[in-house]
Amino acid sequence: MTEQGIGAAIRRREDPALITGKAKYTDDLQLPNMAYVAILRSPYSHARIRSIDTSAAKALDGVVAVFTGQDVADSGIPGTVPVGWLLPNLKTPAHPILAKDTVRYVGDGVAVVVAEDRYTAYDALELIQVDYEPLPAVVNPKAATQEGAPQIHEEAPRNIAFDWEIGDKAATDAAFANAAHVARLELVNNRLIPNAMEPRAALADYNNITGELTLYMTTQNPHIHRLLMSLASLGLPEHKIRVIAPEVGGGFGSKIHHYPDEAIVSWCSMQLGRPVKWTATRSETYLTDAHGRDHVTTAEMALDENGKILGLRVETYAAMGAYLSTFAPAVPTYLYGTLLSGEYDIPAIHCHVIGTFTTTAPVDAYRGAGRPEATYVVERLMDQAARVTGLDPVEIRRRNFVSPDKFPFQTQVALQYDSGNYPAALEKALSIIDYDKFRQEQAALRQQGRYLGIGFSCYIEACGLAPSQVVGSLGAQAGQWESAVVRVLPTGKVMVYSGSSGHGQGHKTTFAQIVASELGVPYEDVEIIEGDTAQIPHGWGTYGSRSAAVGGSAIAVGARKVVEKARKIAAHLLEAAEEDLAFENGKFYVKGSPDQAKTIQEVALQAYLAHNLPKGIEPALESTTFYDPSNFTFPFGTHVAIVEVFPETGRVELRRYLAVDDVGNMINPMIVHGQIHGGIAQGVGQALFESAVYDESGNLVTGTMMDYAVPKAHFLPSFETEHTVTPCPHNPLGVKGVGEAGTIASPAAVINAVVDALSPFGVEHVDMPVTPEKVWRLCHRNGGQ
Amino acid sequence: MEIKGTHTFSAPRDVVWDALMDPTVLAKALPGGEKLEKVDENRYKAAMHVRVGPVQGRFEGEVELTDIQPKERYRLRVSGQGTPGFVNGEGTLELQDTEDGGTLLQYAGEAQVGGRIASVGQRLLDSTARSLVRQGLQALEEQLQARLHPPEEAPAAEAEPAPANGGQAKAASATEG
Repeated sequence: MTEQGIGAAIRRREDPALITGKAKYTDDLQLPNMAYVAILRSPYSHARIRSIDTSAAKALDGVVAVFTGQDVADSGIPGTVPVGWLLPNLKTPAHPILAKDTVRYVGDGVAVVVAEDRYTAYDALELIQVDYEPLPAVVNPKAATQEGAPQIHEEAPRNIAFDWEIGDKAATDAAFANAAHVARLELVNNRLIPNAMEPRAALADYNNITGELTLYMTTQNPHIHRLLMSLASLGLPEHKIRVIAPEVGGGFGSKIHHYPDEAIVSWCSMQLGRPVKWTATRSETYLTDAHGRDHVTTAEMALDENGKILGLRVETYAAMGAYLSTFAPAVPTYLYGTLLSGEYDIPAIHCHVIGTFTTTAPVDAYRGAGRPEATYVVERLMDQAARVTGLDPVEIRRRNFVSPDKFPFQTQVALQYDSGNYPAALEKALSIIDYDKFRQEQAALRQQGRYLGIGFSCYIEACGLAPSQVVGSLGAQAGQWESAVVRVLPTGKVMVYSGSSGHGQGHKTTFAQIVASELGVPYEDVEIIEGDTAQIPHGWGTYGSRSAAVGGSAIAVGARKVVEKARKIAAHLLEAAEEDLAFENGKFYVKGSPDQAKTIQEVALQAYLAHNLPKGIEPALESTTFYDPSNFTFPFGTHVAIVEVFPETGRVELRRYLAVDDVGNMINPMIVHGQIHGGIAQGVGQALFESAVYDESGNLVTGTMMDYAVPKAHFLPSFETEHTVTPCPHNPLGVKGVGEAGTIASPAAVINAVVDALSPFGVEHVDMPVTPEKVWRLCHRNGGQ
Repeated sequence: MEIKGTHTFSAPRDVVWDALMDPTVLAKALPGGEKLEKVDENRYKAAMHVRVGPVQGRFEGEVELTDIQPKERYRLRVSGQGTPGFVNGEGTLELQDTEDGGTLLQYAGEAQVGGRIASVGQRLLDSTARSLVRQGLQALEEQLQARLHPPEEAPAAEAEPAPANGGQAKAASATEG
């Protein structure tokens, strides 16, 4: 039992079905009488719709219906896509589920076809005539705020969605006035496309007799989608909507959000009274999945003569895209500005963020969401600060770490770090990498005209947003607790219903391990059920590395409630006092006489038979838990990248990558390592390969995998992953969250390494992604050397 | 996207000018051209089939000539859309005599391209545009030669609808009277 419980690196029970094609995704589902939806998307980034002629499309054989935004408006539903996080003075222009008068990005939906088969639906799209009056585009978040920039929404002058700040401006200015050194960087955090393996899809089945809508969709949080579908999009009562997440093939945040498309598919089913299915093409996911990052930042750090940080000043223009996506306003504010203290004791911080509308796809949470951007600012500045102070990048970090005896540590940007031991992770990394030896080797190779570089990223992240009251006071229109039902069946088998909603993380394995440990039942006897609003109490889903810390804790608390009830029944059956009973490996026994025992399975059967229960105890053995943590969790660590750059070709070779992460207790170390591997790959992707590029007319010119370089396995070395363990002090499992750590830490580590390698060429900064062309130009800008 | 270049026709300026003002000639020179119909004095409706890398499809749109200075220059405005996206462009064509009795054409314009051809075919856009212009000019040259040196057996045909592959329409140009 315990060999499959918490701490066991067992294989994922999800994988056999996933790798043999037995798993059912939304697009695999077929319902009788099902029709297919295709969505016509604007080729213009900004245009007025003069007219739409759907007559030829309607006349095509096999077309069931063609609808426009006007039809949606005429149907009288709310028909909007809401914003789930409000900031002071946030401009929230209406976002219709189908554009009616104006399109604001390439990919904005303008009409929808329902046909008997998918091919006919796409053929019919080509017959729809839309007369557009082109309007000017603006794609850069800073340029969008300049005088004379095209106005995207009437209610947002200069395209400013919000103007937000955190920290103490006066104290920060004073710190700069007294600084011996100032490190300064202008940074672009490049726009990214999430690239989940499974594109978004929805199968809506509206029963016009009962008024019930069943919606199968690619979601990370089915209850949030049910809520928003009801309140803002469809107007159906919440209890008449059932959202089911079948197998979901990755999300990285992109399947948190409430998009127009799944709503329009549902509305089509409501109009026609028959099931309809839509699956995005890869091109559609590129155009319409919420993108990530897209910041233009000026960042400065003030230091004293000993390299001690006095203050940090950051100004960021953050693109929101054409509309505010579900949690978009939170990402460059509360998930970014609050992380700018990093692992350091910084006495004064001021961060100013301007969120701007651009005629591009909306931007929202994408793996790491705000925290990679913050880490990139802080860790790039630390290297720049090392340069201006003449200190080693390792030494300047050591001098500024929050010391391990200072926890809980209150930062200048709202967060209170509950625990941490930052020097331990750095020192462990240094010893594994053999830092001094590397510096000698680097110097020796430079003599031979070879350019190696080393980069550090000492990151902090905040996972499992909580508690709900605090998050609500910051503008969240959602709770941040999680639900769990732990149901022991009469035979002693266990079914667990979790409000988390896994989509590749391995919940069915790790959650079953938690239950096996807590109840002392065999791991195989535990079934985990997620992703169905009709089976599971309200929950908030999976994002922000919250599943283990919040969802897993809810399950642990729920299992402990079950044990407490079982203890009462066992005591009654054993004719002993409750407090005299021990519970170990699934057995209750009288302390000191382990032979007198009742297994939890025996107790479960008695609980259901209810022939002989203690007074006042209800039959059955199950618990329902709504767990609201008291704080975020704060994973941290040190990542180290070693690169070689080749000035003749501009190539960057990632030679070695070490991650020392502290994610608290590990439920399944193999899954933890897998998550870190995936995260590093995505972060390296941002640093070296990936970038979503819009041309000045607002065309996404990286619209395919030919132009948008997702990292391939052979681009990457074998990662080294190590750990320190500082358990989270406030949740029952001592876990912190790991899904985003790799993406948060790695971009800064890689860029710091590249800049270190290029330092003989006088390079102090290079923006991501570091393509061979950029490197070559930097090496040859003075005619080579 | 900027389109700019020169081409020397081995034909006198008035012959080149007449060809450039003749929709039946232009329709045949248009690579992938399917039709070019006169709507009024200097406006035409056009349809053409375009392929840019993996993206292909039919464009329909309008061509308008303005600022016409006979035998010297005109401005050309093109707007078209279709399943692969849209193109809007504007430019000038200018003619000059060359020393050896030919005509130098200078063209310069700016085109806005959007939709799938921009997002999927973006890397091939410039080279495709250059190659379409080259094909068009070559086809025009062939038609000019056919005008200057008509084959004896050529029937005096009415203007026929342009063939779909106008760019390579050698046989078709031979039927011009």
